[in-house]
Amino acid sequence: MPVVTAGLVSIIFLAGAAAGALGALLGLGGGIFLVPLLNLALGFPIGIAAAISLATVIATSCSVTAGKAGQNLMNFRFGMLLEVATAGGSVLGGITAQFVTQAALQRLFSFVTAIVALVTIARSNRRNVILDPTVDPGVLGGRFFDQESGREVVYRIKRLPLAVVVSFIAGNVSSLLGIGGGFMKVPVLNAWCGMPLRAAAATSAFMIGVTATGGAIIYFGTGQLLPIPAAAAILGVRLGSWVGLRASPTLPVRSLKLLLAGVLGTVSLLMLWKGLR
Amino acid sequence: MRAGDTQLEIVIGKLLRIGVTLSTVCLVIGLALALVRPEAPTTLISAGILLLIMTPFARVVLSTIEYVIARDWTFALLTSIVLVELLAGAIAALAFHRKI
Repeated sequence: MPVVTAGLVSIIFLAGAAAGALGALLGLGGGIFLVPLLNLALGFPIGIAAAISLATVIATSCSVTAGKAGQNLMNFRFGMLLEVATAGGSVLGGITAQFVTQAALQRLFSFVTAIVALVTIARSNRRNVILDPTVDPGVLGGRFFDQESGREVVYRIKRLPLAVVVSFIAGNVSSLLGIGGGFMKVPVLNAWCGMPLRAAAATSAFMIGVTATGGAIIYFGTGQLLPIPAAAAILGVRLGSWVGLRASPTLPVRSLKLLLAGVLGTVSLLMLWKGLR
Repeated sequence: MRAGDTQLEIVIGKLLRIGVTLSTVCLVIGLALALVRPEAPTTLISAGILLLIMTPFARVVLSTIEYVIARDWTFALLTSIVLVELLAGAIAALAFHRKI
């Protein structure tokens, strides 16, 4: 465990800024970069890395939700329904994390990052929008102004049980590993549950605040949420995601995705190497 | 999506922005103090972190109240379940805290 000095605080702040910027550019929370930086590069135990990362996930979720409020992109009803599953999953995950070894968590992290890398390369991009605005979206569906087609569009939710199960698993993994879990929910909601990609991403960003709270509260109680490193990471991530969100429209998405897949593949191998030693 | 939902979205947006801003102010001042005087307690930082954790919690409370006022019992029940789950997390946190 590293000694907290002014130098370390600056490094954590910069690590947070880098993770936040990468996350905002790629539509992820940033925790998937922050946890390996804190654990592998700076030597914090993975439980502490996960705790700090969860706190930054809450900050990101709240800022993104506040920034998008009023656009109808976030499906509050559907999000709150899925939160029943995700919050339950995250509280159970936070408790489980106290009884699992560091090596087991590292192996799980390696497995999860490998899957995210594969999903990123093969990410489906189904539109799912119904252009006829008179169609009833149902209790859980939604309608929003779609900038691509320049009109109001409607979508309906399909395969609700699948969305509930995936939300529970995402909540669980989120608490265990300190990541938001959006990478699991967004592709499933988009590819199988009928949500347009932008609505799925916005709804997931809204939900991960509650998901991360379920885990963070437990880490706060166990004392793993170290105040000074957590403060540095939260402020760094806030700065980084602010910069990343402003830069994202001008950058080529394809090369970003390949970069992401490359970084995650590397992280996955490093975590596996650490977890097997 | 119903008529009142956009309004609820805006209110929730405001609540989240206030929570994050307050927490950030605590964290900035607390971190600056901690760097200047390393031996001082980190109460302000802990308060900032706790404020941050409480923000989504407050959002769920607010949604529950709004759904009760709108007599939308299904969603009032769903958000109440989320509240109970988060409270269970807080109780587990207290239990772990006592063990240390």
